[in-house]
Amino acid sequence: MADNKTKLRQITFKALKATVKGILFYAAYLLLWMFLAPLSQLIPSFQQIIETFVIVYIILMIVGDLTSGTIFKHFFDASKALFIICYLILSLKGGIFSLSYENLSLIVDLRPLIAIVTLLSLLGFAKSILQAINFLNEKAERLQI
Amino acid sequence: MQIPIRIIGITTTFFWIFLIAFFVSAVYSVKDLHINFDEPQLNVTADNKIVFSLPLTITNNGFYSLGDFNLTTQISDAESFVIASGTTFMPIINRDEAATVTHNVTIDFNELLQHDMHFLFNDTELKICEIVGMKIAEMVPIQASTNYSMPWGAPLYNFALGQPQYLVANLTHLQVNLPISFENHAFFNVTGNLKIQMYNNASLLLGEGQISMDVLQQSSYDGIVEFYVLRSEITDNGYLEVSILTPIFNYEDLVISYGR
Repeated sequence: MADNKTKLRQITFKALKATVKGILFYAAYLLLWMFLAPLSQLIPSFQQIIETFVIVYIILMIVGDLTSGTIFKHFFDASKALFIICYLILSLKGGIFSLSYENLSLIVDLRPLIAIVTLLSLLGFAKSILQAINFLNEKAERLQI
Repeated sequence: MQIPIRIIGITTTFFWIFLIAFFVSAVYSVKDLHINFDEPQLNVTADNKIVFSLPLTITNNGFYSLGDFNLTTQISDAESFVIASGTTFMPIINRDEAATVTHNVTIDFNELLQHDMHFLFNDTELKICEIVGMKIAEMVPIQASTNYSMPWGAPLYNFALGQPQYLVANLTHLQVNLPISFENHAFFNVTGNLKIQMYNNASLLLGEGQISMDVLQQSSYDGIVEFYVLRSEITDNGYLEVSILTPIFNYEDLVISYGR
């Protein structure tokens, strides 16, 4: 009975933590969007790209937090890192972003930025793998004891 | 194991915050970047080259400097043949600075005539392609391009030679009066000499004459070239070779038939 109560408390705490993190992340997005808003007038699909990214990222973050204390948290963290790389490369068409308006065409080369994002995401991916290895190590040690 | 993982976590978080802040501020500062193009002009230089000038002012009130600012102009004809191109490059425009430059593209009219002599006789449209490139915050390259057209006025529009009129000069020679007319639609004055060589149907040179011209832009010209020819060598038909020598262009390949 007491075990069930502790589990319920843990789950509630995890859910609360995930909700707060999700809200904070979305608030940060809304704050940053105020600065990026002029760009959406120039690039109509920009807001959709960013919003889809933020929604999927928040979902992965919440699911990761809900599964914390299990190996799945590290899977979700790793998938979050891989999602950032894949989504940015696919949505920004390899880093060369072009658009045309009447007889004006604009090309933005985001490859240097994508390279940095990819490196940071790979670092995050490596961190998740290390955390998963560490988690399994600690679990194995606990079982032996 | 925990400590390296924490260090990786802290480092990546720090770099993520730095990167997002940099990207957002770089994008935001683009709205404080103003590039003003003034009216493009066509002029003739002291060494008689045609210069396309485009004055522009770049005002950078953003958070970061602009790097590798370059403006390229490509002038081409209706068949997309590139007549001239020019690039203006500025390595850096610091923040809170305004830079004013005149972007020049030089056109050698003689080279242009070697490609297509229609520029001399026919009004047309020149296609102009402007390409502006820069590195925002000296890191993110962007490029904008636009096309527009500009009217080209022919300096010898509607060029025509009238039928030669023969007047008796003496027993052996005739005076030939040859009417010449054209309209100068160009933005420059046509100042120079026009030389005529008259040949009979056996391609024998009968005589030659020349006339000085000073035709203002957007005005028409009517003149008469006078020269003497041998009576005995005149035939019913033949051809006239026209050479036009001006400081801006020389043209010597114009052949016009006369007679029946």
